[in-house]
Amino acid sequence: MAEPQKTEYCVPDKLVVPWYGYVALIFAIIVFSGVMAKQAQWLTVFDFNTINGNFGVMKDAKTIQGQGGTGGRDGFMFALTLIPSVMLALGFVEVIDHLGGLKAGQKLLTPILRPILGLPGITGLALVTSIQSTDAGAGMTKMLKETDCINEKERTIFSAWQFSGGGTITNYFASGAAAFAIITVPIVLPLVVIFVLKCFGSTLMRLYLRYLVKEV
Amino acid sequence: MEKKTLADIFVDGARKGWNIGTSSILPNLVMAYALIQILRVTGLLKLMGDFFGPAMAIFGLPGEAMAVLMSAWLSMAGGMGVAISLYSMNVLNPEHVSILLPAIFLMGAQVQYMGRMLGTAGVQTRFYPVLFAISIINAVVGMLVMRVLV
Repeated sequence: MAEPQKTEYCVPDKLVVPWYGYVALIFAIIVFSGVMAKQAQWLTVFDFNTINGNFGVMKDAKTIQGQGGTGGRDGFMFALTLIPSVMLALGFVEVIDHLGGLKAGQKLLTPILRPILGLPGITGLALVTSIQSTDAGAGMTKMLKETDCINEKERTIFSAWQFSGGGTITNYFASGAAAFAIITVPIVLPLVVIFVLKCFGSTLMRLYLRYLVKEV
Repeated sequence: MEKKTLADIFVDGARKGWNIGTSSILPNLVMAYALIQILRVTGLLKLMGDFFGPAMAIFGLPGEAMAVLMSAWLSMAGGMGVAISLYSMNVLNPEHVSILLPAIFLMGAQVQYMGRMLGTAGVQTRFYPVLFAISIINAVVGMLVMRVLV
């Protein structure tokens, strides 16, 4: 096969991750896992909910949101209380990404994902982009196909991976933040379940294309 | 390239959070809470709870949780909003919210992503039904997995 045409989107998988990229990734996993929440006082500095802190309370009410609100107004007040969590979470994600934490994740995951998804390594960048932005991931997927870096079948499998739980990291830490103080499991656990099932879903697509579709 | 400090990078991310918060989460939550209010006032929420009760029991959820999945299908933030609204009404408990969380994202915002993701990437439209089905299967498996994990 001829060497694929190299474009901005179609780069071979030669990713260099600095050591602190891995440190940042481990740091991120710890902070969002919640494992430090119940440790000694100083260790709670590594816990997202601890750093996010608490609102002060209004007199006689349990929260700044007030008690007994209903409908659109209650939703508005609740959304306001959510914004600091979203800002803090996306601030962290931005720093971790800057330090190479997401690239470290990409590097560690690519050898695992390749056999699972049946996608060439050149999709690694688009893959890691798609977990941050659905739109950017979709645009890069289109470019990969147009430059013949991937074929029609690979585009469809890759899209199945992106379509379910699109923009995973951004959406989970933005919208999902609403549930972080409520859920009974570590914050990272539902995220891991989402990733595993994204792979499961794209495997279903792969099987579907292989056995049920004559021509792609 | 200009040199940015880590504090600058953090603030950039926090600003993204503010923008997503005000332009997406806030309007979606107002919509979700208003929707739940409509369902409650009309008695449809109770009806939904009874009707979907048996099916949702498979996942260890009350029937009303169906409202979460339906609104998640339109928008992830909307699905989250409905979940939190039902939680604040004591219809859902913390375990229920945990079970629903991955599903909200796995089948979330499909109506929007049909254009934004599948359309942009240029996926053949004949595969759309399968892609929708796979996302819903993912959500169903996600709820079963979370039921065991919570």
